[in-house]
Amino acid sequence: MLVRDIMRSPAETVSVDTTLESAYRTMRERRIRHLPVLEDGQLVGVVTDRDLRLATSVLAPVPFSPGSKVGGVMSPNPQTADPSDPIEDAARIMRDQKIGCLPVLDGSRLIGIVTGFDLLNALIRMTGVDKPSGRLEVRLPDQPGELARLAAFLSERELNIHSILSYPEGESAVRAVLRIGSIETRLLAPDLRKEGFVVLWPPEKPCPR
Amino acid sequence: MPTVIYSPAYRAYSFGDEHPFSPVRVEMALDLVGALGHSVETLEPAPATREELLGAHSEAYVRRVEEMSAGVPVSDAPAYGLGTQDTPAFRGMDEAARWLVGGTLHGARLISAGRANRVLQFGGGLHHARRAFAAGFCIYNDVAIAIRELSARGLRTAYIDVDVHHGDGVQEILYEDPAVLTVSLHESGQFLFPGSGEIRELGAGAGRGLKLNVPLQPFTAGESYREVFGQVIPLALRHFRPDVLVVQAGADAHFDDPLADLMLTTGDYEFLFRKILEWAGEFAAGRVLFTLGGGYSLRATPRVWAILYLVLHDLPVGPGIPEAWRRKWKGALGEDLPESFHDSGPGSIDVANRYEIAHRNRQAAERLLDLARRYWA
Repeated sequence: MLVRDIMRSPAETVSVDTTLESAYRTMRERRIRHLPVLEDGQLVGVVTDRDLRLATSVLAPVPFSPGSKVGGVMSPNPQTADPSDPIEDAARIMRDQKIGCLPVLDGSRLIGIVTGFDLLNALIRMTGVDKPSGRLEVRLPDQPGELARLAAFLSERELNIHSILSYPEGESAVRAVLRIGSIETRLLAPDLRKEGFVVLWPPEKPCPR
Repeated sequence: MPTVIYSPAYRAYSFGDEHPFSPVRVEMALDLVGALGHSVETLEPAPATREELLGAHSEAYVRRVEEMSAGVPVSDAPAYGLGTQDTPAFRGMDEAARWLVGGTLHGARLISAGRANRVLQFGGGLHHARRAFAAGFCIYNDVAIAIRELSARGLRTAYIDVDVHHGDGVQEILYEDPAVLTVSLHESGQFLFPGSGEIRELGAGAGRGLKLNVPLQPFTAGESYREVFGQVIPLALRHFRPDVLVVQAGADAHFDDPLADLMLTTGDYEFLFRKILEWAGEFAAGRVLFTLGGGYSLRATPRVWAILYLVLHDLPVGPGIPEAWRRKWKGALGEDLPESFHDSGPGSIDVANRYEIAHRNRQAAERLLDLARRYWA
């Protein structure tokens, strides 16, 4: 999944000369928290609702007035994403830098924005169920051919894999969570075990007859 | 007296000898009732017509079922869920499925015409069939078609689905219908097919707040199931004020079921059926239409459905399973069958785990009610 698949486009923007009051109103009305800041059509910064609240707080040494310019409180030279970046890159940058959004640039032109919320949506899409299917969860040795062996097992039975999610588990294993287009996944488990797979779901029933 | 609907033609709805959705399950149940000395009188309605199917299915879908039923290859069959491993195509499947729809539909008409109060359709309950998609052994959605018929005749229907799988097809077809309440209790879709049936699937448009789902933890036992059943359904019925109940009585929440992971006993099923009859009396002037559904253990399913028959007829459950019946079917299946209607239990389940499961189910039911009540004001 790429940034262009999950970004919001076009992005709502403000200019360096926009007042804090006006930027705040835009955030309230659009129910957003991040605004890319433009100067002469070029991205020069990002202003967030947090920037505004901290800058205008009575606790600030010298609070900004509502009529001050966004240019004075924004974060300049922000991190950006390319529309062709994989979303995991965007997620890593946002986590490492502890920031909540990335403006998306096509060359030097701002074409959209990706926020933490968009990444949550992507996660839900990747883990979600959009076709009738059952869960199959297998622990595979972390070595070449293991996933292929599993896929071949399913393919021989003409079963469709709707989604696969996998993640490392310890040093030498990978856990794979699949959604299989079948009501009969429970019947697969004994055969998979016979072929040496470690099947975590469906488990054996706790109540043998 | 309840009306029982069944036709030997239902046996044609079969995906082959090795397939779990076997007509043998129904035969065994009817034979068990007979073996207890009760004479089973059944009505045999005609199969549903093509027009009647279009109450719930798209014309494009029905046409493809008809073509595959006649042996004509259909290039885009997978897009309609047809010809899959679960729901393979077979010659005559259109007509076989229309027989089941015809039975459920006739039951609905008897009730709406005031000619019957309690109806048991001894087949059907094909709740996974969607408007234009076959799934989970289901081709035509007899339940949704029958409910549409009840609506057309001015009756408000509360649908209760105790099959272990989410009643996704019924929910999809009736998702925006304000005249239909659906309640499905099922093993959570996070684990089990079809994957849907989350608390937040509450209906859309004018039907919002009237499609209820109680996803249950794997290995939920009868005690917890009974608790959430009683927690959710009477409240929903009191709010909705139905004229009739339609019940999909899938037997696959039983602990012996080979496809799923809930832990109900036959005794739990008997409790559910009695409760539903009680609520039918309290909320719907006694009007209730039962269909069958899933249930793939040949040791459990015939007993569950025989119990359904007996409870509906106010007959005693028991005394035991007749020896002649056990011998006959053991001969046919090569499998020992239980001696009594009631299970001695699903064996031991870890108690701490059982408590945790019950806790999570209770929370799911509470969250569901919190969400639904926002639309009930």
